[in-house]
Amino acid sequence: MSQRWSNLLVWAGTIAFIVFVSKAAWAGNAVNGTSLISLVVVALPLAGIVAMAASGLVVVYTTTGVFNFAQGAIGMFFAYVDWELTVDRGWPQLIVLPLVVLVLAPLFGVLLDRMVMRSVQGKPLVVQLMVTVGLMFALIGLANMIWNQQNAHTMPFLFAGRGFHIGQVLLTWHRFITIVVAIALAVGLRILLFRTRVGVAMRAVVDNRDLAALGGARSTVLSSVAWGLGCSLAALAGILLAPETADMSPTVLTLLVITAFAAAVVGRLRSLPLTYLGALILALSTQWMGSFLKFSDRWTNVPEALPTIMLFIVLLLLPRAEIQFARIHAVRRVERVSSVRDTTIGMVALVAAMVVLTTFLSSTDPTNVNRITLGMCTALVALSLVPLTGWAGQVSLAPLAFAGIGAVAYARLGGAHGSIWAVLLAALVTIPVGALLAFPAMRLQGLYLALATLAFAAMVEEVFFSQPFAVGPGERDVAPVHLLGVDFSSPKSFLILVTVVFGLCGIGIVALRRSAFGRRLVALRDSEAASVTVGVNILETKLAVFAISAGIAGFGGAFLAMSAGKLSGSTGFEALSGLPIVLALVIGGVGFVAGALFAGIFGLSLVVIQSDWHISLWIGLTYLAPGLAVLGIIQNPSGAVVPMGEGFARLLPWRHDARREYEEMTASDAEPEVGELGLERPFEEADVLLVDRGLGIGNDVPRGITTARST
Amino acid sequence: MGLLEVEGVAVQFGGLLAVDDASFSVPAGCVTGLIGPNGAGKTTLFNVITGLQAPSRGRIVLDGADITRKRPYRRARLGIARTFQRLEAFGSLTARENVLVALEMRRRWASSRYDCATLADELLDRVGAMSVADVRVEALPTGSARLVELARALATEPKVLLLDEPSSGLDEQETDALGTLLHELTAGGLGVLLVEHDMPLVMEACTHISVLDFGRIIAQGSPAEIQADPSVQRAYLGTAKSAQ
Repeated sequence: MSQRWSNLLVWAGTIAFIVFVSKAAWAGNAVNGTSLISLVVVALPLAGIVAMAASGLVVVYTTTGVFNFAQGAIGMFFAYVDWELTVDRGWPQLIVLPLVVLVLAPLFGVLLDRMVMRSVQGKPLVVQLMVTVGLMFALIGLANMIWNQQNAHTMPFLFAGRGFHIGQVLLTWHRFITIVVAIALAVGLRILLFRTRVGVAMRAVVDNRDLAALGGARSTVLSSVAWGLGCSLAALAGILLAPETADMSPTVLTLLVITAFAAAVVGRLRSLPLTYLGALILALSTQWMGSFLKFSDRWTNVPEALPTIMLFIVLLLLPRAEIQFARIHAVRRVERVSSVRDTTIGMVALVAAMVVLTTFLSSTDPTNVNRITLGMCTALVALSLVPLTGWAGQVSLAPLAFAGIGAVAYARLGGAHGSIWAVLLAALVTIPVGALLAFPAMRLQGLYLALATLAFAAMVEEVFFSQPFAVGPGERDVAPVHLLGVDFSSPKSFLILVTVVFGLCGIGIVALRRSAFGRRLVALRDSEAASVTVGVNILETKLAVFAISAGIAGFGGAFLAMSAGKLSGSTGFEALSGLPIVLALVIGGVGFVAGALFAGIFGLSLVVIQSDWHISLWIGLTYLAPGLAVLGIIQNPSGAVVPMGEGFARLLPWRHDARREYEEMTASDAEPEVGELGLERPFEEADVLLVDRGLGIGNDVPRGITTARST
Repeated sequence: MGLLEVEGVAVQFGGLLAVDDASFSVPAGCVTGLIGPNGAGKTTLFNVITGLQAPSRGRIVLDGADITRKRPYRRARLGIARTFQRLEAFGSLTARENVLVALEMRRRWASSRYDCATLADELLDRVGAMSVADVRVEALPTGSARLVELARALATEPKVLLLDEPSSGLDEQETDALGTLLHELTAGGLGVLLVEHDMPLVMEACTHISVLDFGRIIAQGSPAEIQADPSVQRAYLGTAKSAQ
């Protein structure tokens, strides 16, 4: 289908959707001057705040290529800093606001760039994304640790909420200032980008990073400027938004980022005017829904889903991505493919360890057993990303959405009495949904695909679970599966079952990697262009891997539902709960079955801390820890399990190969870097001496002969 | 009538006409050269023939059938294979696996039965890359990686093979071996289109040469004719006037 027709289809569908929704949900409020003015008066400041946050995203992305998931979290954090100084310490806002926005936030941005983000550039997309996701969690954790969330925090409006009237509608000074600041920023950014040297260099970097560098643009300075500016914009947006949110909820402030994504994608993450337009459309339609439409029952959450619905639609309108050539600076991935035999041994050991472990756990209080079960189920869901993201390089942030669909399918199709067929159906039902996502994956590359999957997950969370055919307003009971006459209703037996299932899936995944299909997936990731020229059908291959991934996730979802015992709404399957799973998997190693197991255990330890250690400091740490752990993968994108596995293999008596390899590696590390003399490395004095000795000449050679570089 | 016909192909990138009305043919059983200065549009033409780049005008005909609107993977299955000027190897796979991917694809679409592993080793041996069969390609020097790409292209059992500067990164001995291999391949009926800067190799291997400059074909003929053609010398060396 040609680009024009598919775009037309998306447009027509969108308009039909808007008309249909507006008609169906019309609340019957009068459309008159007053109601329209009040709509605009609320929408404009909201648009301004979204535009500020989104501009920050755009500036950072265009200049450094890093897409900042933490944009909202940075705004949240500085809103709290502002609160601390004004409300808690009583300093005047007139001093604090410029201090935070113009000094502290840019300083934070520059430090962030110097210490973390600079080394993230050029790393695999999933690593880049997860570093900023980790930053997001770290900031939430820090905020929790510093500002106890048991206490209420409220930020007063500027000028104490006073304002002036337009007709009968009150426009507060706070909102008025927000609008004015947003417009001033638009003008200021325009001047910065088009009239200053730094701005011109930043735009040059957007067009061609290497060329700009050749032209003398200093990318290190530019990326610091971009991060400083981005953080400053985030802080401003956060501080202006804080009074509008009840109790300054860190989550609500952090989620501003989703709305900002939608606005920024309208400008294709490049154009600031279009980003402002996107923010305006988003704010107006949100207020339109709020003022004139009424959603109830199964559609209650539609207004919340609006930004993600818009994000999804805009992504579908993007032009089709060209076939990708391999990146020139290919990242070196250590990809040791383990054998099916080794994996089987490992999995048998895992099950045995789990059996031993359960004998030590209390039979009367199943809490700990249930937690480990949850960890294993999480590992199963994380496993679904190993072929998709780890091998095929398609970044999906929606593993839990598929798990949720699988959970619902299990509950609806016989899971209430533990039918074995329901487990298989849970996987089967999710497979076509996953295959459906492969179609946007044909058009969208990399980051855009990741955002589309996140939008998909959010839509599933907000709209799917509330449908009566899914879960609806009540709860659905779920029983553990019956298998071979065993009902697995005891927590311990269920844990063993889940472990065995994980083991079998893990062995299957390794076998898949070693098959022709597995090789084809890696080939597709390494070079799409070369893949098609040897006859690989990209659509077919992506369809297959999305379907497999969704199937595993759906399967895992069924077990998640069993371990919970019931389904209530979207609990446990929220879009943002999926991010820590991806994060933990990337820390562990996204291309490895052991990485998925790592993700499960990592998640488990955090759950234990969160529920047992009732100290807000520790709860904050459960967010902070993954955020810090992810920094480790910047230098080791393969993940933590690779060095762990290598070290472990050396301990096994029969793994002589591992020990030999290690010796060879350390031996080659010990050798100095030898380049071709005179071509790749300069002719040093030491070389002269060496040659002299070889020729038997004395050491009375005149000093100063040093370099002879080739031309 | 050649095996592969390029008919009046033009490619426009915005305001730049990268290829302008290029026509030539690649007959079976011999090596056809495509030469020209850097930026002349040679690689763009390769992308058009393999379907990675849609032409603004013109047709690509393989074996008498118009394939201009066919998707790249279809063309590969119809018998067009290529190597890339900027390496497009599957970096995290070993050399053997690189060839296996192509072999396994052909086994699927041609539903022929053969032992991929043995065939992969034969192909690697044929191009002279057997010694690096188990090395990940991203760890190989450029020259060896090019040989792996060549083996991978041959694995699809093509009718037409497009080689984009295969000798760059090869030493003299390997280049000689490449020349010999080209002779063997064409003797088996394969049509080869060769883009190359190594003029001795081009003049020795090709039976027919097209010269591309600024997207236009400025000369066609046998190696001897091309060497004597004044417009070719102008394109490569510039005239006295343009040198000022």
